[in-house]
Amino acid sequence: MPYVIHLLIMVSIYSILALSLNLVVGFTGLVFVAAAAFFGIGAYVTAIVMTSFGFNFFLACIVGALFSALIAFAIGAVLSKFRGDYYTLASVGFNIIIYSVFLNWQTVTRGPLGIPGIPRPSIFGLSFSDNFSFLILASLLVILVFLACRFIEQSSFGRVLRAIREDEKAVSVFGYEVLYFKLATFVVAAAFSAFAGSLYASYITFIDPSTFFVNESIFILAVVILGGLASNRGAVLGAAVLVLLPEALRFVGFPPDIAAQMRQVVYGLLLVILMMYRPQGLMGEYKL
Amino acid sequence: MDILPQLILNSLIAGSIYAILALGFNLIFSTVNFFDLSYGAVAVIGAYAVFYFSKLLGWPLFVAVPLGVLISGTIGFLLYTSVYRRLRMRRSSNTVLLVASLGVLTALQALLAIFFSSQFQTLSATSSGERLFSLFSGSITETQVIILLTAVAVLLGLAFVLKLTLFGKAVKAVGDDEEVAKIVGINTDKIIGKVFFIGSAIAGLAAILVGFDTGIEPIMGLPLLLKGVIASIVGGIGNVYGGVAGAFLLGFVENFGIWKISGEWKDAIAFAVLILFLVFRPQGIFKK
Amino acid sequence: MPIIETKHLYKHFDGVRAVDHLSVAFEKGQITSVVGPNGSGKSTLVNLLTGMIPVDGGEIVVAGSVRFTKIKSHEVKDYGITRTFQDVRLFEQMPVLDNVLVVLTERGVFASLFEKHSPYHLEKAEEVLRRVGLWGKRHELALGLSYGQRKLLEIARVLATDADTILLDEPFAGLFPEMLKVVVDICKELKVKGKTLILIEHNMDLIRELSDHIYVLDAGKLLAEGKPQSVLARRDVIEAYLGE
Repeated sequence: MPYVIHLLIMVSIYSILALSLNLVVGFTGLVFVAAAAFFGIGAYVTAIVMTSFGFNFFLACIVGALFSALIAFAIGAVLSKFRGDYYTLASVGFNIIIYSVFLNWQTVTRGPLGIPGIPRPSIFGLSFSDNFSFLILASLLVILVFLACRFIEQSSFGRVLRAIREDEKAVSVFGYEVLYFKLATFVVAAAFSAFAGSLYASYITFIDPSTFFVNESIFILAVVILGGLASNRGAVLGAAVLVLLPEALRFVGFPPDIAAQMRQVVYGLLLVILMMYRPQGLMGEYKL
Repeated sequence: MDILPQLILNSLIAGSIYAILALGFNLIFSTVNFFDLSYGAVAVIGAYAVFYFSKLLGWPLFVAVPLGVLISGTIGFLLYTSVYRRLRMRRSSNTVLLVASLGVLTALQALLAIFFSSQFQTLSATSSGERLFSLFSGSITETQVIILLTAVAVLLGLAFVLKLTLFGKAVKAVGDDEEVAKIVGINTDKIIGKVFFIGSAIAGLAAILVGFDTGIEPIMGLPLLLKGVIASIVGGIGNVYGGVAGAFLLGFVENFGIWKISGEWKDAIAFAVLILFLVFRPQGIFKK
Repeated sequence: MPIIETKHLYKHFDGVRAVDHLSVAFEKGQITSVVGPNGSGKSTLVNLLTGMIPVDGGEIVVAGSVRFTKIKSHEVKDYGITRTFQDVRLFEQMPVLDNVLVVLTERGVFASLFEKHSPYHLEKAEEVLRRVGLWGKRHELALGLSYGQRKLLEIARVLATDADTILLDEPFAGLFPEMLKVVVDICKELKVKGKTLILIEHNMDLIRELSDHIYVLDAGKLLAEGKPQSVLARRDVIEAYLGE
């Protein structure tokens, strides 16, 4: 049972990441490969303000999201200049730059040593130190992000995003300042990803840079594409499948080190197979 | 001691490696017009093949190295026939091809880690016994001399093939307009297959050289790929020779960049160069 | 009074002068056609007027007073200008209805976030989709439509905007007679409503039938202008066409 709860918490964290990335990839059609960067920013900011300044988790969460949004604003302004494959490459670049910051700005991040002893959340005497209560908190956050994403999707704003995905130039002739829409979406997605980071940091109680490398971004992209582009339910489904599937490998009897690599083989191959046979994923409405 | 000559030498050596990578990458890109991200993994496979034959089986290098290069070429060719050709026949978008190749990169790197462990290994026979040459108060190893010479040889060899052979003319025709090339009777599929073989073999050569100079690990595919891509974009994507100029520029910027700050920032510097170029001079130093 | 004027408008691509110091004026409430052989700069002119590509020289004057040397595509709507595209640019992986609704709803980032679509939007969308006969297909994706239906959807999208000045880039090309009639009728109705139409077309019969004024372009320059009957009878105009 504790193992199941652990897995569900991980599914929740990746659901939030996938929901946020889906806003960018599924709705604006930009293949962004740096989701782990904002995941990491959320985690690091939360870890630092909680361990060094004694912030409450929920406050730290908000600080993390704001900080992530701020960085996203700056990065998004640059990224918006690029299209298609160049956008993707530049996003990989940003992931590596931010990863370098985690790794090398040792006075703040402690570099490869990571930050240990991150406390679990507590508020008004309510503590989320056991995993079950943490799961409830994580699920609540998933629901919150899910509803927010659905709200965006169903609004006129969401329709404009889809139109941008289809033909950016044509939609601008009808009076839309495309840059603002893309930037706003990007900033919101970054803030949501940071929530996932806060949850992760507080749940594992330890973070180091290795979790936030490009590999992780590719994994989150695979979750979104598997679930289905432009589908919020798909994003959650994708997270469940891709978090749980590799766990099965463990039961088959692979040693943990090999199992970790097998996980990468699985989602790598999955991306290839999806592109070849089902580019819209399991529940998607949109094909790349 | 004056550090400048050593910095220049290091820049030239790094530039040579990047130049070889960019030559292969640009060759493939200029023909098929999509970013083949599996290029990095294909390169590392060649290096691991050499590791397997020479270190584990004890075969002599003059057998192991050509075999490694051939294996890289063959894997590149097979990836084309099994994945990319099918996607291209279905008129999949460049983004689909890019995501698929991202999946291939992830899966292949993880497979290497499963077979050979994720540890850092070196290809050179002994760790300390290499001959050192000194040049203008800087020093350079035998391997590094070979790297410089190989870069020149690959450049000249490729230039010869592309400029003076019938095959080279066909490659150019396919790159300019595949449909027209087909109409004039060129077997474009065969040409592209060969291009994948040659480009991937060149990639393998680069990774093998890196393996002798510093060492190999499965996850080096991504950095090798990215250096090749950055050099290509900086030089002018699709311009086979422009990539060489981009490679040396990148080598110099990286090595002089870490003169004052820690070497860990090398990758971040490389990407800063990429992003600056994408923003201010997206067509690269030389236009195609 | 001209609603849009160009003054010495200039655009080149890799040294080729696509639009070469062109000065033309489009009168309010009239149908003005721009004709000329392929590559004469007609579509480039439309793209310049709608900010799709940057202007290299000269200026564009809107409503006699607002002068531009550069015009941003998202500001075009504010001057009551809209357009169709020669290569029919729809929002492919979106339903037909959404293709129309998207030009009706709020333009601001925040305003659009707190709006779905109003009953008015839906009414308007239904009206224009019925007008072109696509209301029955409103839930289908745009990419599933036939070529003619795609062109009609683009016309519907333009009608929905209620813009005063409409640039139609080859609206009749490739249409079957019954669809052609729908588009021709729409053009006439729009004129009756006092809209300004700028027509890029090859179909000379329709140009004669519809236009109040025509401009003939050749190699980015103005070759002739005037009433359709007189201009289209000119020997040099016929030669420019036949000589292409």
